[in-house]
Amino acid sequence: MKKDDRGKIIAPEHTVRADKYPLDDYTAVGRRVRRKDGYEKASGYAVYTSDIQIPGMLYQRILACPYPNAVIRTIDTTGAEALPGVRAVLRWDDPELPPKADMSGHFGQAGQPHEPVLDRCGYWQGMPMGVAVAADTEEIAGEALKLVGIEWEARAFNLDPVEALKPGAPLTNPESYPEGNFILPFMHEKKVTHGDPDKGFREAEQTIEFGMRRDQDTWVGPERPCGVFRWNGEYPEVWLKHQRPHLAKRQLAQFFKLGVSQVTVHCPYQGGSFGGWSQMALNMQPNIIAGILSKRTGRPVKWQFSRREDFCGAGMDNARYRVNVGFKHNGEITALHATSWFTREGLSHTDHFVENSKVINIIQESNGAICNIFTGWAIRCEQNMNCYCFSAVMNHVAEALKMDPTELALINDGCEGHAMADIAEWKRKRGFKNRDSLRECIEAGKKAMDWDAKWHLPGTGKLPSGRMHGLGMSWAHEWGDSGGSAAIGIRIERDDGTARVLGLRCDNGVCAETAYCQIAADELGFRYEDVQYRPFEEAGFTPMTPDSSTNLVVNGWAIRNAARQLRQKVLEVATSPRITERPEMGYVPPFEGYKPEDLDIKESKVFVRKDPSKSITMAELVRPSFFMGKMDVGSTEPLFAWGWQNQQGAYDINGPPGPRPIFVRQAHFVEVEVDPETGGIEVTRVTNANDVGKAVNPDAVEGQQYGGSVMGVSRVRTEEVVYCPATGVVLNGNLIDYKINTMLDCGPIDTIIVETGMGYGPYGSVGIGEDVASVVPFAFYAAVHNAIGTWVDLPATPDKVLKALGKVQEER
Amino acid sequence: MPSYPCPYCAAPFGSFEALKAHVVAEHGAEPLPKPHGLIALIVNGERHEQTVEPNTTLYTLIHDRMGLTGVKMFCDRGACGSCTVIMDGRPVLSCMTLAIECDGKTIETIEGVAAAKHPLIETYVKHHCMQCGYCTPGFVVTAKALLDRNPDPTEEEIREALSGNLCRCGTYPQHPRAVSEAATLLKGRTP
Repeated sequence: MKKDDRGKIIAPEHTVRADKYPLDDYTAVGRRVRRKDGYEKASGYAVYTSDIQIPGMLYQRILACPYPNAVIRTIDTTGAEALPGVRAVLRWDDPELPPKADMSGHFGQAGQPHEPVLDRCGYWQGMPMGVAVAADTEEIAGEALKLVGIEWEARAFNLDPVEALKPGAPLTNPESYPEGNFILPFMHEKKVTHGDPDKGFREAEQTIEFGMRRDQDTWVGPERPCGVFRWNGEYPEVWLKHQRPHLAKRQLAQFFKLGVSQVTVHCPYQGGSFGGWSQMALNMQPNIIAGILSKRTGRPVKWQFSRREDFCGAGMDNARYRVNVGFKHNGEITALHATSWFTREGLSHTDHFVENSKVINIIQESNGAICNIFTGWAIRCEQNMNCYCFSAVMNHVAEALKMDPTELALINDGCEGHAMADIAEWKRKRGFKNRDSLRECIEAGKKAMDWDAKWHLPGTGKLPSGRMHGLGMSWAHEWGDSGGSAAIGIRIERDDGTARVLGLRCDNGVCAETAYCQIAADELGFRYEDVQYRPFEEAGFTPMTPDSSTNLVVNGWAIRNAARQLRQKVLEVATSPRITERPEMGYVPPFEGYKPEDLDIKESKVFVRKDPSKSITMAELVRPSFFMGKMDVGSTEPLFAWGWQNQQGAYDINGPPGPRPIFVRQAHFVEVEVDPETGGIEVTRVTNANDVGKAVNPDAVEGQQYGGSVMGVSRVRTEEVVYCPATGVVLNGNLIDYKINTMLDCGPIDTIIVETGMGYGPYGSVGIGEDVASVVPFAFYAAVHNAIGTWVDLPATPDKVLKALGKVQEER
Repeated sequence: MPSYPCPYCAAPFGSFEALKAHVVAEHGAEPLPKPHGLIALIVNGERHEQTVEPNTTLYTLIHDRMGLTGVKMFCDRGACGSCTVIMDGRPVLSCMTLAIECDGKTIETIEGVAAAKHPLIETYVKHHCMQCGYCTPGFVVTAKALLDRNPDPTEEEIREALSGNLCRCGTYPQHPRAVSEAATLLKGRTP
């Protein structure tokens, strides 16, 4: 075997260059195939954790804090314990509970604070805390919680990050943050500077300053957070709804002082997480409590939040901003100073300028304040603040210059301070073609939207109906991957020679298992129908953040690596005799006398390259698993291989530049009509143009474009968690008052797939699971401005639109 | 199988109807009043007799007791359509329907739709009308009820009919294609 052939097989997939060994042709990758999970899901046979029922199962409920900031002074659980049907009660002061425990199943100890399992204090209204009950029914458990006598100390609270940072503001969490409410942004310092901002502002021919704010939205996962915990003697068996069940397993083992191998975890299909619940600290709390209560009662314990209780966390994009921008009259942005005030967990807001533009002179200031509202975490993505700030700056500058924002985008597109035109050499050195991704996306999107005919200056698009017409555009790079490791196995079934991909299931719906099978089929030379995903529920091989986000580019490498090794093994077995002292253990290969490189595999058949008529099926090659009476024919050794990928993250502490410049782009276009009488906004069209490098599964890509558009519009058009300013109580914690979009709330959606091959994933791919829902919102923001000529904070609800139009007065 | 003992002779019977017939025939007595909470309903073509509490919902009966877990609970208050079943030809929200009110009703769940090989199942697969899939059975059942009463719906009628079903993954644009294609297949045409 030549060195290069060996390289193709083991493919040490470098994370900073183009795919060195793509396939010559594809039969499954890039095709529209019948999705593997389709029938189960359409027919109702797909099983979710919330469907799990075990005989004798108890139901667990946890107290929800009735105040935004409160301490339990005294607690009396005798009434609850006496209620018939109550089997166990766990209080915050139970001696079995440690003072602190790691309860975030996403990052583990590194990323989030340790918290009490059952806190004596509540830091937002609705926080699960204080006491938990296991009872024969959910209703009895709920009734028991009402019988718990608690003397509360309700404390002053903060709802707004600007107010929370003012001198004299009450402490949001005096137990953990006794010094004040300030917190650093997630993974960032308070102030980050790139380039020479003073110089950039001196070079500017014009400057603008503006403010904006985005209020809190939440995830609304269709399947509410839930789990089932059962002790099988010494060792637990757990059913989880979790995006990283292998990390949850580690933490359960740690809490119950077990080996990880002693914990059995099942992760059935998941009814949508979008990050959200799986990522916030506290997400392991109900599972740990269920484990304690299950052990005490000797019975399985199931927990499931009510829809109201699911309102317990929110996006990371709840923030206020003050932005100064300097630019030249030709549209070139020379300097940026952007300050944010955000609540609880927030991320940076200027990284995209470094990754995604030639703007290099930047000051980012971040003022984080813990407030007595839901914890913020990544919903769909942690890039939301970046997307908002980037899109807002681009569109505000375009407005100031009376320039078409698509032109401004192309002027400022770049990478780590360089114009795109200047980095052709970067692409070449990394093995990519020199294509202009943003230009391709914009041109395709504009054509679909008929942009040139429709675009107008802000506030000038009056329709015959009296409505105001607006067009908006937002763009970004495709953040195709994040750091992590992935491991996947593939084995060939003994009897029919079909292949099973072995990996942990964490299905959030992005059709990843189907995409894995497409890659495996093409790499093995099998028919797509002959490859099936076999979820290793018991957390065996663990793909990176299994399934969701943008991690096909990590998992894709792992499965390709496994498939190429397995293919080589098949060819070696097909040509290599196995001679042993025991004849019945020997094996005469069907292609005796040939070398592996003389053979090929296509359509699940092994054949001689120079004489394809000499072929056998995979079934004939592997032979049956048990062959009564004719052992002399022998059978192949087990055919199995595993692959893995350790991928350096795209992001570095304090933001970009990271290890690899990003060349692929996406552009989104939104068209709206605004009713000036009601303030209502109708989204009449959305156009997505995504350069995904290579679409492994085009249907899945389009699914993310559709879904991202619907969620993207929804989260800035109607979605906002509303807190009562007087009491801090959430006023709309249900799906009647918290409105996510329906089928009638979004007009036609165009899906344009651009494939430049400039991604770092296999075949030049990038992921798409996070992007669209994070970038589309700000095309909507720009479209509303284009319609009415005034900027409206998000979500742009009718009341805000009417205020912006001067139809109603601001509240004082 | 519930047991219904005769109050006169203690002979056991497998259904309330059988017990009534026995009491009339053997003991010459009037049929007994129906036991409290007993309902009889047909689910996916099979007759079931169940004793339910006054607060038992149809969802709980179908999902928890009968094990037909295709019916899903998303919003828990009649806002999302994921728990939709067809009752006597009409789509109803099983989380908002008391089981005690379903005596004598005929119910069709997603499992029944699939068992009947309704073309909606395959058109939903073909057009990728699902991501996480949690809400998908509710959409299919609602669409099936639509096609039962309107075999040739326009796209606007489909969107209107499905507008009560929430999908957080945002698969909405794909559903009308699947429903239209299923309608075509039901009429014996090639899509």
